[in-house]
Amino acid sequence: MLELLPALNDHNLPWMDTIHPIVVHFVIAMAVIAVLFDLIGTLTHRPSLFEVSFWNLLVATAAIFVAIIFGQVEAGLAEPYGASREILNLHSTIGWSLAGVLAVLTGWRYVIRSKDPARLPVAFLGAGGVLVALVVVQVTLGNQLIWTYGLHTVPVVQAIRAGVV
Amino acid sequence: MAVVQLADALGPNGLPYALPIHPNLVHFTIGLFVIAITFDLAGALYPLEKRLFRFLQLPVTRAGLHDVGWFNLLACAVVSFFTVAAGFYEMLLAEPIADAVSSIGLGSAATMVWHGVGGVAILLIIVAMTIWRGFQRFSWRRDLGRQVQWTYLLTGLLMFVVVGVHGTLGAELAAEFGVHITADQLLASGANLREALP
Repeated sequence: MLELLPALNDHNLPWMDTIHPIVVHFVIAMAVIAVLFDLIGTLTHRPSLFEVSFWNLLVATAAIFVAIIFGQVEAGLAEPYGASREILNLHSTIGWSLAGVLAVLTGWRYVIRSKDPARLPVAFLGAGGVLVALVVVQVTLGNQLIWTYGLHTVPVVQAIRAGVV
Repeated sequence: MAVVQLADALGPNGLPYALPIHPNLVHFTIGLFVIAITFDLAGALYPLEKRLFRFLQLPVTRAGLHDVGWFNLLACAVVSFFTVAAGFYEMLLAEPIADAVSSIGLGSAATMVWHGVGGVAILLIIVAMTIWRGFQRFSWRRDLGRQVQWTYLLTGLLMFVVVGVHGTLGAELAAEFGVHITADQLLASGANLREALP
């Protein structure tokens, strides 16, 4: 059965390069800009920005599930070593949690928008603050996996295959 | 290529801080640009997808979709100056792994030059498209339902391809040439990762 799986390249991947870090563009940017536009919309009394936030939040929620799918496949092939094992576990746990948080916030936002699209409760702004904090932690952990431990980079994959890591 | 006077202040990744800034700002440049164009496309094709939104019970206005197209692009233009600035700072401190050749057959210097020049070109195009988008929104097409020209959308879609290639070059600087990756730089200097990066 195993020979039916595609061969792995020098990134230890069945495709050219990691896809997860590309998909997360649409989670990170959309979640953070949604909260920022909510803040600007509230401070400058521009309800049209609330509509922009709503759509960005919806995109972030759709994208995070795609990000998780690729994240799980690429995590499974990452061969973490040393402390990066713990970081990858934490990154996976927060990733799944973030999907739940984003889905709940988007559902809540849908209800708020259905009732009165021109008003945003302060409580939602607070929840947005928590969302951004979670995203920052999650991005930092993901950054460590690539920029500190170099998972899926050619030199590290080479070293792992040579048995020196 | 590294700025030698700074050498003492730099960590094993070649930077005075642990995690590079440019790739994190890139999330915003690419995410905001792609979603801006996508929502303007959705606004332009609104008559076709109206029924789908009604079927989903998702209230939507054409102007709302175009608002996403405008504000996301505006935010993209603002953040992209910082993306390029951070990119140039980190490029000055880059020490790519010697003799490596990328999967598309380029060496590190060629990859870095193309990525640097391409980054400035893309910034200029994003700014030009933001001005173009502003004219359409506030002047030329102010009273029209479809707020963007087809040529604008086509330019945006072509930019998806350009940004895709450009991003691939950037990814190769990291994942193949090991630029600013602590583990790769330690391995290149002959360190044992079991001790240097437990």
